[in-house]
Amino acid sequence: MSGPLGGPLAGTRGIVLTQAWAGAYCTSLLAMLGADVVQVEVRKRPDSWRGDYATPLPPALADVETAEHSWNCNPLYNSVNLGKRCVTLDLADARGLDTFKRLLTHADFCAENFSPRVMGNFGLDYERMREVKPDIILASLSAYGHTGPWANVPGIGGTIEPSSGMSALLGYEGGPPLNSGQMYPDAVAGFNACAAIITALRHRDRTGQGQFIDLSMQEASLAWAGDAFLEYALTGEQRPRMGNRHHTFAPHGVYPAAGDDRWVALACETEGQWRALDALAGAGWADDPRFATMGDRKAHEDDLDATIRAWTVPQERDALAARLVEAGVVAAAVHDALEVAADAALRERGVVIEVEHPETGRWPQVALPMHFSRTRTEPPRHAPLQGQHTHEVLAELLGMDAAEVDELVSAGVSGMGPPD
Amino acid sequence: MARALEDIRVVDISLSAAGAWTSRLLADAGADVILVEPQDGHPLRALAPFDAKGRSIPAANFLANKRAVSLDLDVPRSRRYALDIIKKADVVVSSRSPARLAEIDMTYEDLGRPSLVMAHVTAHGMTGPLAETAGNDLTSAARSGWASINGNADREPLKPAGWASSYCAGVVAYAGVVAALRWRDLHEGEGQEVDVAEAEVMAGAFAPAFLGAQYRGAAGRRRESADLMGGPVEVADGHFALTLSRAHFWRDAMNVLGLADLAEDERFGTSWYRQQHKDEYTDRVQEAMRGWEKMALFDELAVRRVVAGPVLTMAELHGLDHLRERGFWRRPDNQQDGPDYPGPAYRMTETPSTLGRRPPRAGEHTFNVLRTLNNVTDDHLLTLAESGVIGHRYPEDAR
Repeated sequence: MSGPLGGPLAGTRGIVLTQAWAGAYCTSLLAMLGADVVQVEVRKRPDSWRGDYATPLPPALADVETAEHSWNCNPLYNSVNLGKRCVTLDLADARGLDTFKRLLTHADFCAENFSPRVMGNFGLDYERMREVKPDIILASLSAYGHTGPWANVPGIGGTIEPSSGMSALLGYEGGPPLNSGQMYPDAVAGFNACAAIITALRHRDRTGQGQFIDLSMQEASLAWAGDAFLEYALTGEQRPRMGNRHHTFAPHGVYPAAGDDRWVALACETEGQWRALDALAGAGWADDPRFATMGDRKAHEDDLDATIRAWTVPQERDALAARLVEAGVVAAAVHDALEVAADAALRERGVVIEVEHPETGRWPQVALPMHFSRTRTEPPRHAPLQGQHTHEVLAELLGMDAAEVDELVSAGVSGMGPPD
Repeated sequence: MARALEDIRVVDISLSAAGAWTSRLLADAGADVILVEPQDGHPLRALAPFDAKGRSIPAANFLANKRAVSLDLDVPRSRRYALDIIKKADVVVSSRSPARLAEIDMTYEDLGRPSLVMAHVTAHGMTGPLAETAGNDLTSAARSGWASINGNADREPLKPAGWASSYCAGVVAYAGVVAALRWRDLHEGEGQEVDVAEAEVMAGAFAPAFLGAQYRGAAGRRRESADLMGGPVEVADGHFALTLSRAHFWRDAMNVLGLADLAEDERFGTSWYRQQHKDEYTDRVQEAMRGWEKMALFDELAVRRVVAGPVLTMAELHGLDHLRERGFWRRPDNQQDGPDYPGPAYRMTETPSTLGRRPPRAGEHTFNVLRTLNNVTDDHLLTLAESGVIGHRYPEDAR
């Protein structure tokens, strides 16, 4: 009933120790691609995105009768763990560690995003994992990677964004560096680690050889600003903060519409799009020598933006965005999270779906942003409750009967919720 | 050392940064990637900034490690040579909409090879109400929700800097292609289409803020102003992020900053209290931080295992011992005189990423590829080039 979903990775299994965002999202993507991903969680140190056990329930769920345990109701955790099963094991306990190692013999891959010394402390560094499963693939996601002077320096998305060069690029023209509204480097690391594990699976299938993947969030983020690094390498210049502007195209910005915090993004990448915008505005912009060519528009971008702003500001956002799109201008309304949930295109393509969760109820969630014509994926299950699948997985993979699992629970090695 | 995709040939007919990043990652994983670009050059080649020789820097980044062939897919006489190359390929990467592919008879069905893997990397996907609608990094930020939370509350929403949705869609499409290739390995001859939309990938990256907003019934907004939890604040020589998400981060950071009374105040040991009472300490903490240089503060906090991040520029990153010792910087095998390129996003012990080729000049390998893959004779190639069917011959290609 809660086995793997269909998809290109059907028949592949991960026994994983991922947590928070980057690692958890990586393995959720793999689950949504059809892998059987079993999340192993330690009750004494629950996934930080479940919150700690004392965290109150989210106020918005106060009236939801089934919402009982805050750690099963955290939107952070529930957003990036779709499609997985969850087993609890205390890896500091010999029985827990032994059970984990036995699970590992059934795994194609493992992934974790502790700081680099933690897995060694558990006795689960890559070399020792290979003694248990010689062709295992292990992906380790960390702040700065497993080698080098900063290997043991801790970090999270909010500190990697600055230390990777990303924050220096994000911000308004002439303004200070900014971090993104949520920790973008985590998503970057999650996508990349997913790609790395799939690559390693193919290599394993063809050669029988597993491997170790060392993902430094700093490096992944810096690679994601590779063009800005190359700009420095080739010109000696640090790219300035550019707001929403583009090096070549103008206009290229976010403009106000009527009402509070209502905005439209629009860009003209071709002369045809500029003429279409001009025709829509009907104000003779194209005849203005300041705006004659892309180069002219770029050179007079402040004037251009002020001109466009004056035109957009009284207009109703969605009607304006629709007219711009209809005219062929690159444009979209700036949607907030509730509007994204209602987006018809995302709904129709199954990227925003309704997910039923045993405690929180039914909510829209963002599922897998990939579509396959042959190996179609299925809508993913809700993020697992803590320890929800302990009995099921230990019976299915290790042949343990209920009494054996109950013994682990009563010894505090497994179970649900705060440790006794 | 093995290369993960050394047995794979890719033809990239895409015209976008996202498509180009997909095939760049395939190339870095060892695939033979042939970029089929219009005779007036891949669109990225026209984009600023440019190097001293007038060459596009985005093009250098996204097109490196590939061979480039100049063929106009809109022109049937030219297109047939691209179709011949595709007959020898495992993967095609496209950024065209369904209608644009149909116009040039290059849909998956038209290509007629069930074993082919075809990746579509587009703004909004190959189906649905926006399949024919143009988009870019800016509109992906708008549609996915990212712009609504980036930036300051008193200013316009901000897209993520640079080519964020192109990079993210690129690696997601790469992952989809490799998953499809693995499926084909295990199920002989079963290729398929992989459909990745930039706006959807960014929505995936937005998932935590998305679900939080649903539970609350209220969307997140942009920050009111720079604050300690929200991102970098000023220090003596730049900016610095101190996120203080755990009790010991707070205590140790306050002690380092010489604010012992704040460190000892037990009320600040819980994160919700710190959030609720920001006004009681923010000014003092920021004043104390302004007395520190960013690397000195980072080093002091790192010893205490407090998460913290100095805002680094590209020059500072290039000078970091950490990245140098990890061997992050690399140069194309055939361009050892520079410039440095960033390394891969992840290290694989058995199938490391490789950067074999510098970025190709426009159509640099037209003759070479058509000669070796399509068996077109040199005389015929010259005739085709003279009549404008294919790109011109580069001097170094002369036999």
